[in-house]
Amino acid sequence: MEKSNLNNLMKRIQKDRDEMAFSQIFDFFAPKVNAYFIQNRIKFESSEELTQEVLSTVWVKSNLYDSTKSALSTWIFTIARNKKIDFLRKNSKINFKEEDIREFLYQDREIDINEENEAKKQIERINNELDEQQKIMIKMNFFENKSHKKIADELEIPLGTVKSRIRHILTKMQEFLR
Amino acid sequence: MNGTVVRNQLIFDFASGILGPAKSLFASTYLELNSDASKISSTFENMLGENLMDNENIHPKNLKYTDCMNNENIKSASNLKDPVTSFFGNLNNLKWKQVYKGFREFTATINDKDELKLIKMDPGVSVPLHSHGGKEYILVLEGSFCDEYGKYSRGDIQINDQKIKHTPIASKDTGCICLSITEKDVIFFGKYGSFLNLFTFIKSFFK
Repeated sequence: MEKSNLNNLMKRIQKDRDEMAFSQIFDFFAPKVNAYFIQNRIKFESSEELTQEVLSTVWVKSNLYDSTKSALSTWIFTIARNKKIDFLRKNSKINFKEEDIREFLYQDREIDINEENEAKKQIERINNELDEQQKIMIKMNFFENKSHKKIADELEIPLGTVKSRIRHILTKMQEFLR
Repeated sequence: MNGTVVRNQLIFDFASGILGPAKSLFASTYLELNSDASKISSTFENMLGENLMDNENIHPKNLKYTDCMNNENIKSASNLKDPVTSFFGNLNNLKWKQVYKGFREFTATINDKDELKLIKMDPGVSVPLHSHGGKEYILVLEGSFCDEYGKYSRGDIQINDQKIKHTPIASKDTGCICLSITEKDVIFFGKYGSFLNLFTFIKSFFK
């Protein structure tokens, strides 16, 4: 379809809420938008839903389109692109880091507290003196961001034990760093 | 690689929609704050819009145009506006983690792999000389910082790679808040290097 033709159809939607004009815009863009989602590895069920949302936006928010600023295809592309980003974010697992091991290790110190060799020795001590289970718990807590509850479930030990052991390990690590 | 090239690549990847959630959020914030970047993005979008005109057709099976006219679910606005606040919430209410005196972080993990990090530095605080195991993207949200390469203010971006060694210092007047994505761990140098690398070392024990 010619660009000028598409622009005329869009004007009819904006001015008169012309349904026949919208059906033509739909016939032209829906398969291309749907293809964009599929090219971006979104499954067919979801691509169709997203395509519906994009074309619904074109109809409901037609007044937001300004033909002096961009081509209709650019406007529709950006709606589709933003829907895709929103979709990915909604389907992501987001964790805010509750605890940071550095808070325990550095303890609010000024950074000029250690000579190079001293620090190396301390690090080695931590590595040597923690046993495998202690390492696993620190890993789960601080580097995999798992809650104490989750660690207790996975290691099949009581919640109270997890809490006290992690506290114990951290105290031990802090001693090494003194 | 030249810094401008890497920056334009980021903008282009965002414009085309291929970035994952962490980098998308980073890039959309950058475009909000930086009008030059936003102009570059518009140029790419015009091009991508042209491509859409010629895109192949994959017809939806169960969708008619009338389904799009009675759709009540269209949200009032995309949450791409002010993405940082809609993602993290009000920055004043975050539980910042103090890494060392005057330097705080708040980290979000996305899908267990990508990390999106807010960094808050008090006025005049510096980060000791360090380099990066992979690429690091830093965007200034508030205040400013400077390093060996220049001054970076609100809306400015710095992209560092393995070759860059630097010592950022937060502005004495305002301090700074930055959004960052680090692909690999930071490596510190100098007198306090080992101490600050502790985190990286310890992390490696637990892998």
